[in-house]
Amino acid sequence: MNFAHLHLLLNHFPIIGTIVGLGLLLISLIGKNEDLRRASLIIFPAMALLAIIAFFSGVGAQGAIKKAPGVSEALIERHQGAAMLAMLFMEATGAFSIAALWRAQARPRPAGWNSSLSAVLVFSIVTVGLMARVGTTGGDIRHPEIGSGHEQEELAERSTISKAIHVFEPSPGRVAELMTTSKWWWAFMMDMHFVGLALLIGAVGILDLRMLGFAKQIPIRSVHGLLPWAMLGFGINLVTGVLAFTGMDQYYTYDWAFWLKMLAIMLLGLNAAAFYLTNAFQSVAELGPGDEAPPLAKFIAATSLFLWFAVITLGRYIQSFADTVSVHK
Amino acid sequence: MGPPMFLQAIEDTGFSTWLRESESPFAFYFILLFHTFGLALLVGANAVVDLRLLGVARSIPLAPLKRLFRIMWIGFATNALTGILLVFAYPTKTLTNYDFYAKLTIIGFAVWVMQKQKKQVFDDASLNEPDMMARGASLAKWSLVLWFSAITAGRLLAYTYKYLTYPS
Repeated sequence: MNFAHLHLLLNHFPIIGTIVGLGLLLISLIGKNEDLRRASLIIFPAMALLAIIAFFSGVGAQGAIKKAPGVSEALIERHQGAAMLAMLFMEATGAFSIAALWRAQARPRPAGWNSSLSAVLVFSIVTVGLMARVGTTGGDIRHPEIGSGHEQEELAERSTISKAIHVFEPSPGRVAELMTTSKWWWAFMMDMHFVGLALLIGAVGILDLRMLGFAKQIPIRSVHGLLPWAMLGFGINLVTGVLAFTGMDQYYTYDWAFWLKMLAIMLLGLNAAAFYLTNAFQSVAELGPGDEAPPLAKFIAATSLFLWFAVITLGRYIQSFADTVSVHK
Repeated sequence: MGPPMFLQAIEDTGFSTWLRESESPFAFYFILLFHTFGLALLVGANAVVDLRLLGVARSIPLAPLKRLFRIMWIGFATNALTGILLVFAYPTKTLTNYDFYAKLTIIGFAVWVMQKQKKQVFDDASLNEPDMMARGASLAKWSLVLWFSAITAGRLLAYTYKYLTYPS
């Protein structure tokens, strides 16, 4: 298996997934069905996480086919720019979905409309459109049945909609340049990545430790209230991490520690799903001072702690290069 | 005039050379890793206490958070030890950089604030929660600012040094 396999394996999920998520959201709005709405709000963050990995795997896929005859660099760039713009909206959709889920659990009451849901609706509609374009521009790169690279390059410029969207798409080369021209900008991003780490580990760590039996006088639901701060830390690290990747994509792409770190983050996504979608969260939410969490919740907490420290470890071993060598242009 | 000679002497010891040059994953980057673990424990735990004192997640009872100070001290001890080893690996790089002294000063203040929080807010059992928050709020703000600055100063060590090793 190479990066081209990985990219093909992953890249269909965010495209199809956002369409499914949007479909469920629309049906839930028409039918006033809370379960369907919740399902769509869970699908979006999952797709947002997968979209990042799909994006990262694209650089390796490019490396795998770049030299093949009939492959156009211009088309690859157009695809990459489209992916960057779509990812921006995908991540925003995921973030608003988490905010909407958080509101629903913090104040359970009959389905009402709120600003988070409006934001999810608007952003997911835009994301579906942009994702479709990512798929189309990606397909243009290497599907001989659609046409040769050069024919596609010409075709790509004909549609007015395509031209209009292209105006908003970042140029991948330009973004990479912006990330690495200044050593101080790079240092600032890395600094914020560490600040995000401390915030994330602090807030998640105390929740996990409490479930494992530390400071039992604290009711679990109360420490659960710190999670928006963990998500803030995760958000900071997601943004600075993606920006760092776009700045030195070749370096990260061919680093095994980086990919294991991404795997650990995906597993943490599953860990969160296991916490909220089984009865684990319900089983601890109403526990008072001194109460012991059930074994499933303890297992999920221990896994979460282990995986977060694995993420730090793997991340640290990527940086073994960037710390001692000044950022190259 | 170059850097003081004793820096070269430290750098030439077998242990310092091994830390710096070994390709084993258990050399320099292993220590740096534990320095990061320590950071997460120390700053993570203190940030939780700070946020709570500033009114975040008010349903968390304050008194049991005293136990987090032990985690902070474990983090601090880890980082004092790994920090010494990191200086041992790159003495010239570290000790000729003003930023390193700035970092140590900031950490000194941050730990001082941390101890004040424990003594003034958590050790006084007669205080009720509003009193604890009233006493702790400005310490909590200082704590957040100081830890943020300490992380920044530490991160900048990778970008501001004059010599990587003793100049030959």
